Amino acid sequence: MIYQLGPVLFMATLSLLFGVVVLFLVSKVGPKLKPTKAKLESYESGISGQQASTTKVPVKFYLTAILFIVFDIEAIFIYPWAAVFKDFLAEGYGSFILIEMVVFMATLVWGLFYIWKGKALDWE
Amino acid sequence: MTSTVLFYLLQFLILASALGVVLIPNPIYCALMLAVSMIGISALFFSLEAYFVAGVQLIVYAGAVMVLFVMVIMLFNLKNEVVAFSKGLLSKVLKVSLSVLIFALIASSLSMSFADLNSSQLQPYESAMRSVKELSALLFTKYIFAFEAISILLILVVVGAVSLARAKGGTHASDK
Amino acid sequence: MRMDAMEAAINALKLVVIFGMMIQAVPLLVWLERRGSAFIQHRFGPNRVGPLGLLQLLADAVKFINKEEFVPGKGHRLLFFLAPILAMMPGALAVLAIPFSTPIEIAAFDFAGSTWGPYLLKVQGADIPLGIIYIFGVSSLATYPLLLAGWGSSNKFSLMGALRASAQMISYELAMGLAVVGVMIIYGTFYLNEMIDMQQGPMNFMFMGKEVIFPYLPNWGIFYQPLGFLLFLVCSYAEANRLPFDLPEAEGELVAGYHTEYGGFKMLMFFIGEYGHMIVSSSVVIIFYFGGYLIPFLSTEDLRQLLTGFVGEGAMLSLATSLVYLLSFIIKLVIFLWVFIWVRWSLPRFRYDQLMDLGWKTMLPWGLLNTFVTMLLVYLAHG
Repeated sequence: MIYQLGPVLFMATLSLLFGVVVLFLVSKVGPKLKPTKAKLESYESGISGQQASTTKVPVKFYLTAILFIVFDIEAIFIYPWAAVFKDFLAEGYGSFILIEMVVFMATLVWGLFYIWKGKALDWE
Repeated sequence: MTSTVLFYLLQFLILASALGVVLIPNPIYCALMLAVSMIGISALFFSLEAYFVAGVQLIVYAGAVMVLFVMVIMLFNLKNEVVAFSKGLLSKVLKVSLSVLIFALIASSLSMSFADLNSSQLQPYESAMRSVKELSALLFTKYIFAFEAISILLILVVVGAVSLARAKGGTHASDK
Repeated sequence: MRMDAMEAAINALKLVVIFGMMIQAVPLLVWLERRGSAFIQHRFGPNRVGPLGLLQLLADAVKFINKEEFVPGKGHRLLFFLAPILAMMPGALAVLAIPFSTPIEIAAFDFAGSTWGPYLLKVQGADIPLGIIYIFGVSSLATYPLLLAGWGSSNKFSLMGALRASAQMISYELAMGLAVVGVMIIYGTFYLNEMIDMQQGPMNFMFMGKEVIFPYLPNWGIFYQPLGFLLFLVCSYAEANRLPFDLPEAEGELVAGYHTEYGGFKMLMFFIGEYGHMIVSSSVVIIFYFGGYLIPFLSTEDLRQLLTGFVGEGAMLSLATSLVYLLSFIIKLVIFLWVFIWVRWSLPRFRYDQLMDLGWKTMLPWGLLNTFVTMLLVYLAHG
């Protein structure tokens, strides 16, 4: 198990260490200036912000994320199917597995059609 | 030897971050801890040579579901909801009973799967691609009904999400 | 397979080299980007520091290191620093699985009093099983640094930029995920190395039980999946948040998006992430659609025979083959990176609603269609 996971963990640790060490060194090398009040204010093109940064945000982003999950799961189910499609074809069960996937995809295309007609994909 | 150390290290990471989810009061850090826990589980699958499941765990849970969580937490200021949920007798009773229920579910399914498990039947696949093909051969023949049912389930999610997001009173309250 | 200490050391060293190369590629690409944009816009670009302005990179690095460290007053310190560090990780982890060339055989040798080897040195960080799934899984984590940067800076522009960036990334990740299904059906494997092997020789396939051969075309994926290639390329531009899809930055409306409050080396780390993403997606495009490290019209057998004349048989031959293939891969990679830069300086930016429309109403249906047509064609071709 170390044979496969080892390199991945090694690379993750390496990039993490690189980032931490470099940021630490840079913070030591760079000039130390006393921060002024104006400087610490968040940059909002010169006019200081009137509200906190966590104001209301369109629910659209949430909808996009949840629709993404749905279609992502669909794609995930197609992957193993794609891997065996040719094997099933060679064994003569091609029509069976093709129709199976067409039904699956058609259901989700129907869903896509629904959100399209329901204007859930329209921005502004 | 190294493998065992690695295994326990991963377990520690997963459990520590899962504890963090429960113990850290700031919701955004909780969500991040949960993401770390998901990534750790994916690494665990990877180390058990279930590469496809590991990838799916990353793509769906760490890459999609947790992104949604983090996004939603960033969108709403959760302070009021947190207070509302952590006070009162009713919510306490609910919390405890739900936890007991979930624990019982996990414990019973574990004991059932241990009863089914016969470790002498377990054989490693000769290649990772072989294991994916075995998985899909099962999924698309024996479990075909469950597979097709998933598409219905997903479409329900779509309909629910769209109608919730378009309901009155939201930030995008039914336009026009 | 057991590894001895020497092999483990070699592998670790290889990973360090690959990581270093990814970091090193960034100043070179920045230079290429600046000179290239100047070339496209009839300007000079950086040409004063050193020959062709190449030492500008060094000057930039010194500048980045000497910047003052700054955290916005209302910002979340931990998240603010964590975001740029995490930004480098998806790129670094994905590059790990890319096969750059054929393996090099190392004959047994004596070192420190004992005999080591023989080894097979893969020109690849690690031969990760199911490479595509791994690369997709790791790249799907690239949304976190953006969200963390946006949240950690406590700035409205940053937060808006981060939300836009993540919504855009997930939307196009979807179309990208569907675009590769065609590739998976054609090759029937998730291993990157096996995909490259299948693209050897002239284009040939079985159609209704008869073998069809096009001797003037290489057996590359692009000829089987032209639409899939187009979708994948466009999506990889959107995933890298580059023009024409750089809405998250959109300096006209959002100042600089999620990295408004970042400067100095932290900014550079976001750049490393972005360029790492460019390198990974270019490599993946090459492997899926352009034969990986293979040279068109020259099979591995022919190449080995050709090289035998120069270096003879044995370990030297595998080294020479590997180097030639590495060169071929790098040439293809540079071409695709140049296309990235070219597109950036030629096309105008989309509006955000146009961008989301393109993702959901064009790329997603076309991705589904591509999947459907591919599976139908494969089915019909089988007869």
